[in-house]
Parts: sequence; structure tokens; C-alpha cells
Amino acid sequence: MKIVVLLSAGLHPVSGQSILPKVEAQALRLALALGEARGRHAGPTAFPASDALGHGLPHLVHVEIPAEADPVPALVATLEADQPDLILAGRRGQGGDETGLAPYAVASRLGMALVSDAIAVERGEADGTVIVHQALPKGARRRLVVRLPAVVTVHPDAPAPRAFAYGVARRGIVETRLAPPGLPAAERLEERPYRRRPKLMRSAPACGSASERLAAAMGATSSGVANVMVNPTPEEAARAILAHLRAIGVLPPKAA
Amino acid sequence: MTRLRRNPRGERAAKAVAGGARIRFDLAARAEDRGRPRRDPRAESAELLIGGHARPRLDRSGAAGAAPSSVEETAPTAPKIAVVESPAFLIAVVPDALGERLSQHDRQLFGAARMLAGADGAVVALVAGEVEGLASAGADRIVAIGEPGYDPEGRAAAIAGALSSLGLRYVLFPETSDGGDVARRLAVLSGEPLFSDVEQFSATSVSRAARGRRVEQRAASKRLMTVAADAVAAYAGPEREARPEPVAPAAPIKRAILDARRITADPATTPLTVADFVVSAGNGVTDLALFRRLAEALGATPGASRMLCDAGLMPRESQVGASGSVLTATCYFALGIAGAPQHLQGVAGCEHVVAVNTDLHAAMIERAGLAIVADAQDVMQALIAALKEEGA
Repeated sequence: MKIVVLLSAGLHPVSGQSILPKVEAQALRLALALGEARGRHAGPTAFPASDALGHGLPHLVHVEIPAEADPVPALVATLEADQPDLILAGRRGQGGDETGLAPYAVASRLGMALVSDAIAVERGEADGTVIVHQALPKGARRRLVVRLPAVVTVHPDAPAPRAFAYGVARRGIVETRLAPPGLPAAERLEERPYRRRPKLMRSAPACGSASERLAAAMGATSSGVANVMVNPTPEEAARAILAHLRAIGVLPPKAA
Repeated sequence: MTRLRRNPRGERAAKAVAGGARIRFDLAARAEDRGRPRRDPRAESAELLIGGHARPRLDRSGAAGAAPSSVEETAPTAPKIAVVESPAFLIAVVPDALGERLSQHDRQLFGAARMLAGADGAVVALVAGEVEGLASAGADRIVAIGEPGYDPEGRAAAIAGALSSLGLRYVLFPETSDGGDVARRLAVLSGEPLFSDVEQFSATSVSRAARGRRVEQRAASKRLMTVAADAVAAYAGPEREARPEPVAPAAPIKRAILDARRITADPATTPLTVADFVVSAGNGVTDLALFRRLAEALGATPGASRMLCDAGLMPRESQVGASGSVLTATCYFALGIAGAPQHLQGVAGCEHVVAVNTDLHAAMIERAGLAIVADAQDVMQALIAALKEEGA
């Protein structure tokens, strides 16, 4: 199975230093568990994607494009020649627009399937398939059987990346290629420095008094006061609790 | 306010008794046109008396005198439904609707769509299967897209069909794992521009963070948008029509996802921060073996208050509150927890709270949607017995 890992030039969430995004190092670990993998990065320099060599990647292909160019056509141009069976990518490439569209665009141009938010990938029982475990909210999982070739994006809940080893990083190979000429520039949007804004008060009434909004911000709801049972028998209390839990949908409905 | 100026001479002259040689006055007589009439408080309160009570009770709301008109007023208080008969344009919302219910995030999405629609446009909910609460969330029309279940490829193809057949002006998705996935599939399938992860939403422009949250990008509303949680307030106006609209079934497509099976989370191992249903023990719980049996029977993740964790009776990972885990659960079931402010901070994100406590005035009882003032041990026993009886 030919496996390619897409790597991006991320920024550290606190310091702003260029780093390999953690989720891509996690994708690399999933890829190496399946077989031999190669890296692919499109950007002005190989660093910080070349950090992936230290996490166990033997070979990185760096496609040199200007900083403001769209990486998708450059990636597609080099991937078309390789015809990989499986492409792993982070949930969202970092350092650029961070729209999360690049894996979808690559999959669509190469005619590959796409599965999002994987936390585990293994070979399927039938030939030409993989089994992908997908992370869902609230700790649930989904087991998918996917036909190859496929692009799989990796969720941050995937197993932690392999430790960085300096010797392994030195032995890895970085192959730099020039991008094919005539690549279109990415669409530029109006940009300004990021400014943090107050969060929306989730349960606050849209047009309540100041005291109502304060109560909502503290989590007290006006409906909460109504339903109080004082010294019921334990059986009554149990029935009321089970009925309430069923009404809000956390407990499955009574069987028959 | 102007008061009539008194004319004492005229008043006196009005009281003059005619006839007789001397001028005589009847000072007890009241001039007809003078001042306000004298009140009779006893007669007034007798009118306000309500019958049928042992003690005399008065209705001072004014309803007693105006009984016939109040009937006319009650007729139009039936729930008003806002209808957009012939919309100028359509705004579509694709809610996640996990378990056929709208999440808070989905409701915020409808709020955003209503902001874009204004008075002329209509909001279309594109849903798979029956979803409850669409009318109150703010949907004018409902269009079915496929069957419920995990099928992002089919869903994207169906929405791409609706995009052209219904002429949707904007399509809004929640920026969640499923909603964001379908939105991006649709963006590459239809070639429409996508503005993802909107953090600032207004009727004309949207903005989002980029480059590791170093910059924010701003643009006019794009045709496809995914909206982050808590970016817009949910719709709070009158109920909408939620009229089902027929739509042609989508053409069959070739799917690469051959099989999808949902594996529910194991509540015993789920971290508290992502658990959906947490049952938590406090100082009022003395039998912890019984508590663990209850958590297992309910299928809930066990949590605890700081008191129990400090005493070493429950593991530190299970502590709920400011110094433990801050929950995002749908339901929090507190047994024997009074509700210290630090504990309530950990519960602030929970949608529903059920509390069992012996103290009627505990803060947790005040916070709860269902509060039971009773001993936690007895209630736990009764709950396990009731669940066993249902299962048998």
C-alpha cells in the first residue's frame, strides 16, 4: 500500500513559532503503523514540515511554491504521478487560511474518497479496503469500511505522536521539487490583526432584564425552581427521576 | 395640573337660604358642582369581594368589573405562527440533529439564518428524517434530504441538487465534525465558495480567525458558510410555520464508504469532560458501592464532589468543579451534593441538572430542573430497583 502524509507549516498556539502541527505528527504515526509512508509538503521552505523526519518519516517531498500561492494544485500535480492508495492529512492544515478544504480538494481532483476525523486506521478484511475509526462528540466512535484509494483526515483524539529522535531526523531525506509553472494564486481576503471578543452568553434571554441575564450567566434557570419534590417516598422519587431522564433523552425509552 | 381656584364668596352665596329679613346660610348643604364626590370605601370594597372563601378576599386587579371584556382578550393569546407565504429568497440550514433533536448549536444556526432572511426571506431546514422542534427553532420550510444515518457523500449530493433546484441564496452548516464534513464535500462538489468556522456573524459580513489565530479574515456573506458554536444567538421570536416541501429524490451516486457502524461510548471509561450523562456523588452519599451500581445501571459516567475526592473515596479524575473537570454533559445527576460555587462552575455548561439532597435550600436544588428533597441512599436503592424491574 502506497501511503502519503500531507504536512503543513503550522504555528505554535502560544508562542507563534513555526512547528509541525501535532495532529499531522499523529497522522504520521497512524501511517507508519500501516506500512511505509512518504511525506508531502507544499510551501516556501521544507521547515517545519521536515520535523516529521524526526517522528519517523523516512522521505519527505517538498514542493517549493511562493508563500501566498494555493498549495492544492502543486500537491495534486506531484500526487498524480505517484498514485497513492491512502493519503493521510491533519483535520485542518495550519498556518494558512485554515479552512480545512485542502484534503477535500485533493480528494476531489484525484478522484479519491474522503473520510474525516479518524483516530485509528487498519487494513480491511477485503482487499482494497481500510477500516477507519472515526471520533464523534461525547466520546462515541464510528467504524467505517472505506474503499481505496482514499484520503483520511485525522482527529486530535488520535494516539499521541511518536517521540522526536534527532538521529532519525538526520537520516531522513528531504527531496525538493520545483512547482509546475502557471499555478493560480489563492484568493486573498481582507485581513486584520485578530481581536478577541466577548463570548455569547449561551442561555441568556435575548431581551431580559439585567438580573435575568446575570442569573442566566451563572447557570441558574428560571424553569429550575418549579419542579421540586419535598420528602417524596423513594419509589415516587425514582419514578419522577426516570421519567425526567427519559423526557430529556439521556436514558433510552422504556422497553415495551 | 391645574386646580380650580376656589371662590369662597360664591360658595357662601350658593348656600344662602332664600326668604327672611336677615341673610341666612345652610352650611351643611353641599354644592352640586363642587370638587370630587365623596368616596364610599365600604361600598367599593364590597364590590371587590370574591365569594367562596372563608376569609373575605378582595380582587384588586380590576378583573371583577371588566369580566365581559376579558373573554375577548383571551381569544388572540393562542400561539401565533409567523408565516412567509411567498418568500423572495431562501436561506437553508443543515442542522446536525443528532438523535433527531436540535442541539443548542443547531438552534443558533437557525438564529443566524433568520438574521439573513429578514422579513422577506424564508428559512429552509434541510433534514434527514423527522426532527422535532423545527418550528420553534425558526424554520419556515422543511425539505427532506435522504434517510437518517451516516451518509455524508449522499447528503452532499442531495444538498447540491437542492442548491440549484430550490435556488438557495445561502446554506449554513454547524462547524462540527459531521456538519463541517458535509459542508466541505459540498464546496468541492458544487464549486461554490465556502467561508468556514465563522466566529463573527452579521447580516452582511462574516469573519473568521486564520494563521494560528494571528489574523482575522472578513468577507461579505458567502453562499456556503459553517458557523462556530456560540457565534450567534438562537432565534427567540414567535413560532414559524415549518411547512414540509416536496423535493425530487436525488440521483443515486457511487459511494466509497461501504459500511458505517456507530459504537457508543463506554461510560465507565469516557473522560468526564466529554461525557454526555454524568451521575455524581457528594458528601450525602455514604454507600459508594451502591452509587457505582447505580451509575452502571443508568449508563452514566461517575463523578464526585471535592469532599469525596479529598477523602480518597473517589479517584481525583472524577472530581467535578473548578479544580476538577468542567463538564459539557447534557444531563448532570447530583446525589447528596449541596452545590458549592466552585462545584457549580463545573456544572455551568450542563443543559439539565437533576439533584437529590436533604436540604431544601441547597444551591444545587435551586440550580436543578428536577429537585428531590430526600435522602440519597433511599433514592439510589429505589432507582436501582425500578431499573431492575423494567429490565426484567
